[in-house]
Formats: sequence, structure tokens, C-alpha cells
Amino acid sequence: MSGQRNGRLSSLPALRRLTPDRRRTLYAFAAAVLLFLIGALVRPGFIEPSSVKSILVVASFVGFVATGQAFVILIGGIDLSVPWVLNASAILLVTSSLGQDDRAAEAVLLCLGLGLLTGLVNGLGIVFLSVPAVVMTLGMNGIMQGLTLGLSKGFTCHACSSSSPAVVRDAITNNLLGVPADLYVWLGVVLLVTFALGFTTFGRRVYAVGNNERASYLAGVNVRLTTVVLYMLSGLFAAFTGIALVGYGGSPSLGIGDPYLFQSIAAVVIGGMSILGGRGSYLGVVAGSITLVALVSVLQAMNMPDYGRSIVYGVVVLLILLLYGREEREV
Amino acid sequence: MTGADGTERSSPIIEAVGVSKSFGAVRALSEASFGAGAGEVHGLVGENGAGKSTLIKILSGVLRPDSGEIRVEGQRVELSSPQAAQALGIRTVFQELTLLPWMTVAENLLIRREPKGFGPLLRRREMSSRAEEMLASLGIENIDPLELVANLPLDQRQIVEIVRTVTREPKILFLDEPTSSLAMREVEWLFGLLNQMRGEGRCIVFTSHRWREVESVADRITIFRDGRHVETHAEIDEDHAVTLMTGRKVETMYPELPPADDEEVALEVRNLGGGSLSDISFSLHKGEILGVGGLEGQGQRDLFLALFGAGEKSEGDILIDGKPARIRNPNDAIRAKLGIALVPEDRKSEGLLLPMSVRDNLTLPVMKLFSAGGVIRSRREMRLVQQMVERLQIRLRGSEQAVATLSGGNQQKVLVGRWLLADSRILLLYDVTRGVDVATKHDIYELMLALISEGRSILFYSSDTEEVAHLSHRVLVMREGRINAELKGSEIDAESIVTAALREEDVPA
Repeated sequence: MSGQRNGRLSSLPALRRLTPDRRRTLYAFAAAVLLFLIGALVRPGFIEPSSVKSILVVASFVGFVATGQAFVILIGGIDLSVPWVLNASAILLVTSSLGQDDRAAEAVLLCLGLGLLTGLVNGLGIVFLSVPAVVMTLGMNGIMQGLTLGLSKGFTCHACSSSSPAVVRDAITNNLLGVPADLYVWLGVVLLVTFALGFTTFGRRVYAVGNNERASYLAGVNVRLTTVVLYMLSGLFAAFTGIALVGYGGSPSLGIGDPYLFQSIAAVVIGGMSILGGRGSYLGVVAGSITLVALVSVLQAMNMPDYGRSIVYGVVVLLILLLYGREEREV
Repeated sequence: MTGADGTERSSPIIEAVGVSKSFGAVRALSEASFGAGAGEVHGLVGENGAGKSTLIKILSGVLRPDSGEIRVEGQRVELSSPQAAQALGIRTVFQELTLLPWMTVAENLLIRREPKGFGPLLRRREMSSRAEEMLASLGIENIDPLELVANLPLDQRQIVEIVRTVTREPKILFLDEPTSSLAMREVEWLFGLLNQMRGEGRCIVFTSHRWREVESVADRITIFRDGRHVETHAEIDEDHAVTLMTGRKVETMYPELPPADDEEVALEVRNLGGGSLSDISFSLHKGEILGVGGLEGQGQRDLFLALFGAGEKSEGDILIDGKPARIRNPNDAIRAKLGIALVPEDRKSEGLLLPMSVRDNLTLPVMKLFSAGGVIRSRREMRLVQQMVERLQIRLRGSEQAVATLSGGNQQKVLVGRWLLADSRILLLYDVTRGVDVATKHDIYELMLALISEGRSILFYSSDTEEVAHLSHRVLVMREGRINAELKGSEIDAESIVTAALREEDVPA
């Protein structure tokens, strides 16, 4: 049924004229707006500024991880190591800074370095040892999980009770002109990545490699370097999200990164990027992140029990994918 | 439909009436009509993008027409799926092969008609003997039914594809470009088969870019241009047909090759080996077209890849403009002195980024020209793209158009244009005219001459030996990874190339 509606939608002349990429970005944003409207019907306070702001802040965390994920998905790869790279970074932040401001800068750099390093290892394994990305990054996730649990003494996790340096907390939660600082950070990331993908030689190469590795290589593109750099970026964004989450919540916990694997991939796909690589726009991923979090919030507002939320969440994501599948065939 | 030939024919067994089909803004067929009768071999010819493949796909139930009617044995039918077409006895060998690469020849031949044992269990031994019988009954002995399709060379895959289709008792058989990857003997085999099927009262429609083939086997020939049916004839000569196909007159097929008098050496290769190559030495002069001939698969492809830094690790020396050059990857080759460029065999899998724009495809290796600190200056880029599109007369709607929607010839021009932007002086052209229509071939020849007149050098391989003979100043004939002979000037013709290719002993050049 939804498929048919989609069919009619894309036959509107105005939508026809858009490229499929742009059309999907538009759908993803439309879905987000629709969810906010449904939320408002369910609970009148849903679209009050404070509520919208807090939804967007939560969406930004998905958005950060999904940015890294989008980079590797664009070249037909995937990064399954994000949950525990994120988690390791979160714990490393508090254990290395001990919550002190004067150690914050080094701690943040250390965390980001950790992210880059895991990405580097992922990339090198994929490029030089020809390990499939799924296997390589899943293995890395296990390694990071083991390291994190081992070094933090697992469930007695003392580190988890220590808290984030105040400057990090402020950088995420302070309000600037009535808007949480975190959203400015997100905006900055969005602008930067949009620019990098759309207006630089780097972005052009990413799409080229994603479309046809062999042809890109024969056109002089350094495919290996590009691949490694993208996995490093994915690690960087996962680690960065770990920092942001600690800043937001005050202290880390074990398992904090678990939901972000599915969410980051779902946000990328809802945003209209092809899981096979080479196609899709980054703005769609931003919209996808908002859509996902808005959906969860709507279900919460409906007072749906946990298990029901899981089911509806899964069904809706599948429906959206189904919709795109149909469109693909139409074009 | 009555042909312009005026011969009496029984009513067509399959017919398309006023069929139109568009893909987005591209109109592939407009009001096209076509008909073929039982007991007939019908040739369908036209340039790339004339709508032949689209018509065949519509008549095979793969695509649905936007408007128009399809009739089988006079009855109007809806071919809503390939299954629906198959139920009416329509079988098709598509241009893109549809075999399953990781299954054996036997499994492919017998797919969905496997000999069954108990329940759903297959009888494996019977499968291979059945497949062997099937191949033998059509006179094929050199294909092992237990071989994986992925391990077969292209021509044998095509043969398996044909066998699979033909043994399914088609009433109406479509073959889209069945001969493009077949050797001469295999083409003869196919045509023998088609003649036999004609005798059995079947209807056969096939497309080909090789005029002599069409002429030799077809009872009638239909010419398509720009998505329309132009004319159908029983007798038509090549000149007239080419005029109808292109809508203009094409003078001589091969242009006059100007003499190469520059003695300056652009590229010198000494004792190149590694992979399938051994001990290859030659030099390529400025302003020269050096042909590479020989039977298919004698190391020509490896030679081209090695020179471009994309081959296996190789030994020997490459000198560019007299100085030794280290070429470890394509990037080294592109940036080397004089600049080496490769236009590869398969433009779809090795050359182009199909869903990306013409602009992106043209400028991928040369982004340094219009970027500063990695940031692209769009206006400068567009100027370069504009110039190249005009210079090569690439036909397109806009530079943002996906390169996949261009015709084959225009796609090839994009690939050449890319290296002109890079100002490569040494061009390695590997079978650039394969599957390209007559008019575009002519354009490519003219382009090659223009390139050497600018002092560029071309190393030119083609699977069409005539082409190598007509367009080369000298020809290197390869056999088993070595250079078997070098032919010059008046020695060069297709026959002498083939003779040299077959000669066993090494002949010092």
C-alpha cells in the first residue's frame, strides 16, 4: 500500500525532476516532519521547542556515528566495530582525565587517537590482508570489547562511576542562544562533511571508488589509501560519539555503544544511501538519524511498552527499506 | 507487416506494432514496428542506441512497452514477464550473459529441467552425461560439462548460453549480438545451427554489428534508426544499409593513414616479462600508431596492463622519452613523463563509473587541474568539460547526465577525452571499437588520426584484424606472450598478420 503511494508520489512532475538521491533525501526529511506531527497529535507537548531540542540532541549522537558509517558504506564497506570503539572511547575519556579539566584536552585527543588507530587497523586488514569488512570490523569490535571489559574490570567498573571533565560536559550541554552546544557541533560536522563529499577531490574519489573500484584504480585513484582513510574516519566518529555521550550523560557505562550499530546503519539506509556503495547523499543520513530518534520518541509518547516499541521500530525500518527497493526498480 | 522487398510471406509469427518505450527522458523506441515469420532468419541492424536491444527485451517480456501492441501468431498478447513470453515459445539469448558463473556447465544447461531421482534429489551423474549429449548433438566437443562457467573463456560462455537457449525448443528465438565474442569458426557453427533451425520452421531474429555476417545468413534485414523501424529488405547492399542506419553517407570505411616520419622514440620497452609475457622489446615512435595483433589471448591484454602499471609484477625496463621510468601503478603511468593512458577493453567494468555524471567520468584522473588544496573549482572544471565535449562531439543533454545513459560510442569518447584532459602523449587503446556501431567506429578512427597528428603515440590492439591492418604504421604480432613478428609498411594486411600469428618458430624482427 505504501509502495503504491510512493509510486504516485514520484510521478508528480516536481519530484520526477529531482535526481533519485535528492528525492530520497527529501523523503527522509518528510518522514521526520511527519513523525513530529504524529507526535504532536499523540502528546501536545511533543513539538514544543524544549522537546524538539532534546530529540535533536539524541539524534545528533546517532548522526555522529552514522557519519562514519556513511563514509565506509559509500565505498561498499561496513563498520561493525562502532559499538565498542565508542564504548572504549567513553571509558578512556574518564579514566585518563579523572574528571579533571586540565587533563581534558589530552584525554580527548587520546580518545580520538584510539578511534583513528582502530580504524587504521580495520582499513589495513581489509586492504592488505583482504579480510572482508564484515569479518574484520566484527573482530575489531570483539577485541575492543575484551580490552574495555578487561581494563575496566568488567561489571565492577569503577571507572564508570567517575565522571566527565566539566569542560567536555559544558561543550555538549551548555546552551548558546537557547540551543544546546551539541547541536552546533552537529551542524558543524554536517556542513564540513557535506562540503568534503560534494566539493572536494576527496569526495569525488570516495564516490568513484564506491561505484567501481577497478575503474577508479585504472583512472589513477589510490583505492587502498582512500579505503584506509575512510575506515579511520569511521573510527574517529565512533570515538567522538563516545566523548559526546559521556559529556551528555556525565559518566560512561558498559554497553553504552550497543544501540548505535543498528541505528547508524539504519540511518544511512533510511537516508537513501545504497548499501552497495557509490550512491546517496549525506544530508539524507542526517535526516535518517532524526527520523529514527523521532520514531522512538513517538513510540515512547504513546506509552508503548518496551517490547512493542522494538517490534514497531523494526517493522517501520523494514517498511522504509521496502519503499526504496520499489523505487529502485521504477527508475 | 509487408517488407519493402515485396516478397510474399506468410503472416508474421511475432509482431510489434507501434511500440514506444522511454527510460526517463530518453526515448529508446518510438512507434516502432517489426515483424518476423516462421522459417525465417531475420537480421536486425542499426547503430548503438537505435533500439534493437530494447525491442528484443520487450518482445521477450523483460521490459514492458509504454504503448503499442505485441502479437504472436496474429493474437494480441501481454508479455508481462519473461515467463509469459517463454510460455509462448519465445526464447532469448541476451547481450549480457545470464549464466550462473559458480555453477558447472551441466548445471547451467539443465537448470529447471534437472534429471530428478528420489524426491527433490538430483542425479548428478546423469546430469553430466545429459549435458554432454546436449553439447555433442550440436557438434560441440571442447567444452567440459563439469567445468565451472567462471573458468570458461568468453566465447565458450557465449556458446553455452546459446546451447542452453536453443535446446529449449524455441518457436521464436532472439539472439542479441550473439557473435561479438565468437571467433570465426564459432560463428560458422552458429550460422549452421540457425540454418538448420530455419529448416525446422522456427523464427530466428538476431542482431550483429558485423555486416558480412548479417548478409550471409539473414533472409530479410530490418534496419532501425533512432528507435524507429526504417526499412525491411530481402536484398540490400552494405553502402545502402549504412546510409539507412546512420542517416548519412559514410565514405570509405578506413581513413587514409598519414605516414609516420618522426623517428623520435616516445616509449621503449626492453625485455619486458612477468605474468604471461616474456622477453618483449619494441619501441613506439612519436606520431605513430603501433598495432598489436595476433590471435586472441596471446598476452596482449597483459602487455597493455603492464605498460600501465596495472599488471602483475614485471621484469624488464620501460623507457619514456629516453629515460627509464618506474611504473608501479596506474597513477605512476598517468603522471610519468609524456603521460601514459589506457582505454581498457571493457568500458563498463574497467573504464566508466556508470551511474556517475559525464563530468565526473571525464575529470577523475585530472582533478589537480582545477582544484586547490583538494577543493574543486567548479567553474574551471566545467570549462574543461565543456571544451572536451565540444572537441570530441560527445552527444549529451548535459554534463550532469549519468554516463550510463550515453550510447556506447559516446561512452568511449568520454574515456578517450579523459586522457586528452590529462594530456597523455602515449595512448594504449585496447579493443576500443568492440561492440561499437559503424558510424562511431569511423569517428574513433578519425580521432586516432587527429591524436597522432598532434604528435601523440598510440599502441593499438583490436580483436578485428582488418582494423589493426588498416590503422597501423607497424604491427607487432603476438603469440604465447612473445612478439612473434613485426610487420611494416606494405607487408601489413590482415592475411599476413594471421599468418604471422600462426607461425610456430620465433622470427627475429
